[in-house]
Amino acid sequence: MVNEFVYCPRLSFLEWVQGEWDDNLDTIEGRWVHRRVDKEPATDVPAPPDDEASSADGGDAEALALTARSVLLSSDRLGAIARIDLLEAEGREATPVEYKRGAVPDIPNRAWDPERVQLCLQGLILRDNGYSCAAGVLYFAESKTRVKVAFDESLIEMTQDAVQGTRAMAEGGRLPPPLRDSPKCVRCSLSGICLPDETRAWSGEPPDEVRRLVPARPDALPVYVQAQGGTIGKRGDALHVTVPDEPPVSVRLLDASALSVFGNVQLTTQAMRAVCDEGIPVTFHSSTGWLVGVLNGGLGHKNVLLRVRQHAVAGATEASLEIARRMAEGKILNQRTLLRRNHAAPDRRLLATMAMHARQTRGARAVDQLMGIEGMAARLYFSALPQLLKGAGAWASQRFAEGGRNRRPPKDEVNAVLSFVYALLVRDCNLAAAVVGFDPYVGFLHAPHYGRPSLALDLAEEFRPLVGDSVTLNVFNQGEVVEKDFVRRARGVALSPTGRRAVISAYERRMNQTVTHPMFGYVVSYRRVVELQARLLRAVLMGEAEHYRAFTTR
Amino acid sequence: MRRRYLVAYDVSDAQRLRRTYRVMNGFGDPVQYSLFVCDLSPVERQIMHERLTAVINLKDDRVLIVDLGAADSRLAASFDVLGRQLAIGRDSYQATVI
Repeated sequence: MVNEFVYCPRLSFLEWVQGEWDDNLDTIEGRWVHRRVDKEPATDVPAPPDDEASSADGGDAEALALTARSVLLSSDRLGAIARIDLLEAEGREATPVEYKRGAVPDIPNRAWDPERVQLCLQGLILRDNGYSCAAGVLYFAESKTRVKVAFDESLIEMTQDAVQGTRAMAEGGRLPPPLRDSPKCVRCSLSGICLPDETRAWSGEPPDEVRRLVPARPDALPVYVQAQGGTIGKRGDALHVTVPDEPPVSVRLLDASALSVFGNVQLTTQAMRAVCDEGIPVTFHSSTGWLVGVLNGGLGHKNVLLRVRQHAVAGATEASLEIARRMAEGKILNQRTLLRRNHAAPDRRLLATMAMHARQTRGARAVDQLMGIEGMAARLYFSALPQLLKGAGAWASQRFAEGGRNRRPPKDEVNAVLSFVYALLVRDCNLAAAVVGFDPYVGFLHAPHYGRPSLALDLAEEFRPLVGDSVTLNVFNQGEVVEKDFVRRARGVALSPTGRRAVISAYERRMNQTVTHPMFGYVVSYRRVVELQARLLRAVLMGEAEHYRAFTTR
Repeated sequence: MRRRYLVAYDVSDAQRLRRTYRVMNGFGDPVQYSLFVCDLSPVERQIMHERLTAVINLKDDRVLIVDLGAADSRLAASFDVLGRQLAIGRDSYQATVI
């Protein structure tokens, strides 16, 4: 914790106060280097290693050389606990050894300050436990080198400052600001959660360049099982999906970011256990896409501070209303953009009215008023949307134009696809909210309502035209769904299994499509954008961003 | 982001062989006996390395890991299959819809 504080206070706060963790190659290799000291007892020393900690606690150092691994010691005076990877003692003379995965850095001290401070703190704790300790050793695994670190006055002072600074930071309860243009961020495992450059940009003091520190598109992708009668089992470290009359499909757990199950599909306990272990969320849907349940691996997100803040702000009218305004405005602007770009001859008056509605959101004094403006814009928008169905999709235009937007159940084919795609979108927003640590049920634009994932619906608003409507138009106009892909029932229209499959594929293609981020200038997939927006909302609530900015395209 | 690896193993004990196969199933597709093609990120490669080290006997067994390059569609061309055909690698960035 003190080590991280010296490296970056924000990292220390995220990891130790908020319980955020993410692995990268460095942390995994670090754990690998520590595997012996973390687990196995020492084999090459005569003294029993496991209970060394207790005898060392007593402070009665025996006059013989001993080596102990993974020694846990504490000091009340410093208020600190240390786990010493390797303790080498001879009489009262003790030397802590700390394992590091990398090579010896080519700098004057032959060690970075965070490591030196960490080691020095171990030394100070040893001193408080009755040992005398003048120096420690850093063992660099990659270069197999020991570097001796002497605990001189300046290092001790730096260490004591760091301990105090860490305590003050933790007690202050405020997330420290990110480092500015720091090369440290590039190899930091939490850069995707911390978002150093993005946070600076949101707070109104943008860095020279916003570096994209996470890949544009994640490697792992969602897995959907919608074939009725299917079974999802586990074979090795892979999900094994069998569907009657079809060859089985195996998906590596590495490749699955989320699992979605539609209708009558079995999920074995073994598979459920495996996805929980890997932290892969499972969403359960009705066969028409309605989200009926979420299985989140582990025990939920630990970021309590954010949830407390979310509930406080969601109750306070002005701050909550400001977020809601921006969301509604973003949605109207994106709807207008969709019409402007896809309509052969857009009605200028209609576009102008929609632009006016977008402006009006800024002046809305209550959420009801905001919803009214949003509703007026939506009516205009959906009146023009049928004209965008052309080519292979022209057949669906007529019935959609007659009924307008309707749902529960949708009464025509276009509405059936819209409802289904929105359900997929809300699911992804739900998962994004959960990943950031939000309570998905407390929103800002959508009023709290029993069982309604209001925050997920909030986050989805600006993406409805960008993702939902654009996918819908595409599947019709490209002929990916045709008339026989729908089932007409007495009360409404629903997608058939093949239709559903085509729509899911189209939706996933869209989410993987990359766009240039209007604010950061780098290229990201829509999937990442959804998560970025959820993290922006976090920054707004935690006072790190001036205000919420909806994601809009030109 | 990911790279494609060819992983071949010689394991001299039947139990360890089965375990190695099971571990490898989580990382790639079996293409021949004791031969897998795996698309892995640096992190995933390191995890595979650790999992294999835990299973095999470092004195008696051997695992060979060959880096074939970035895992994109062009790589499929570097495989030539005679006889029974086989699809190698998958289209990354395509969600699985069943």
